[in-house]
Amino acid sequence: MISMPPSERDLHAYVDHQLSDADRQLLEIFLGNNPEVAAQVQAWQQDAQHLRAALGGALQQPANPELDPAMIRQRLKRQSRRHLASAAVLLIAVSVGGFSGWQAREMTLINTSLPMSDALQAYRLIAQQDLLPADYQVSEDGDMQDWLDRYFTRANRLPDLSGAGYKAVTGRLLSTDQGPAAMVIYENQGGQKISFYVRPPGPKNFLLPRGSRSDGGLQAEYWSGSGYNYAMVSPADTPAAHLLKQTVQF
Amino acid sequence: MNDIDEKLREIIPGLRRFALSLARNPSSADDLVQSCLERALSSWGSKRADGDLRAWLFSILYRQFLDAHRRHRRYARMLDFFTGRDDAQPSVERTVIAQSTLDAFDQLPTEQRALLLWVSVEGLSYKEVAAILDVPIGTVMSRLSRARQALRQLSDGEINRPSLRRLK
Repeated sequence: MISMPPSERDLHAYVDHQLSDADRQLLEIFLGNNPEVAAQVQAWQQDAQHLRAALGGALQQPANPELDPAMIRQRLKRQSRRHLASAAVLLIAVSVGGFSGWQAREMTLINTSLPMSDALQAYRLIAQQDLLPADYQVSEDGDMQDWLDRYFTRANRLPDLSGAGYKAVTGRLLSTDQGPAAMVIYENQGGQKISFYVRPPGPKNFLLPRGSRSDGGLQAEYWSGSGYNYAMVSPADTPAAHLLKQTVQF
Repeated sequence: MNDIDEKLREIIPGLRRFALSLARNPSSADDLVQSCLERALSSWGSKRADGDLRAWLFSILYRQFLDAHRRHRRYARMLDFFTGRDDAQPSVERTVIAQSTLDAFDQLPTEQRALLLWVSVEGLSYKEVAAILDVPIGTVMSRLSRARQALRQLSDGEINRPSLRRLK
């Protein structure tokens, strides 16, 4: 039951058709005798009508097949199969057991502290899986260096890989345990990608000698300079990877 | 299963509209709908509360939007932090005069947009909205009341009307 005179809540409930028939009638009588309140209620009703009309068009968008439930079910199934596959790998590693199992554990522990693992991880997320959108897209030559200079003023210059057919195309900023990082992606005509990754050496000022390592199909070349750590990542065993490996000084 | 899919297909246009009103950009809106449906289909049965399917989906989508929004804000703050400047347009002081109810609606904060869409456009009950937001019905009603006042003021341009009171 509503109170008389009706509270503001009752008025809203009236606008939203959430009153019982009895209450609705009571309120309509009240509105008939109180034109000021009635005008207020009518304004709300009008706003709601306008909103319904204005948003009606958004219901008529052309269908997006990606959103069809059958399609989404399929995708979910594929994903869970992928998860199953990686779970199987884990299971094998664990069931080897005993000493070698322990060794495997040690290996994974070391793995996390290998130099510039974050650069490899970023390459996987951004260049391979396309999970994070770019912050910056090059429109003219030289733009990428300007973009990078906004964040890392004293850092080494971006290497020129145009001789090998690679051009810097997109940039992305990331936050890491060691501080803010930037990654620039180079691409060649064939869509193959090399990344340039720069970040501070971290609180322990962990600087790196020029080095190279490969990990999960990727190869990272890393070094330090001008107070930052750098890595260049590419798929292992490709011409690009050989090129990077041979470059002593970036 | 086909039964469920049929029901979902009926709701999808409404979900897309809701997502659009939150994200304001059709492609991110559809991304939102897609991840909402993925979440819904993978937790079907286990988590689905009894009651309106539509309200349940709205609540999943809304939470996902808020999460993404928070992440985005954190990221934007990080950018500001290291550029030392704020590239974003001033949005706190809304200086645009609403030309229509829709313009006014677009200027409202996220929760008010969601509330008005659920109640005024989709016709959800206060009880359903309370369940989505996980607040008491009374709270829904007072927030709705504030949202309506804000919409009213913005569409009248009251907030922006210059205070040119005639000086005597």
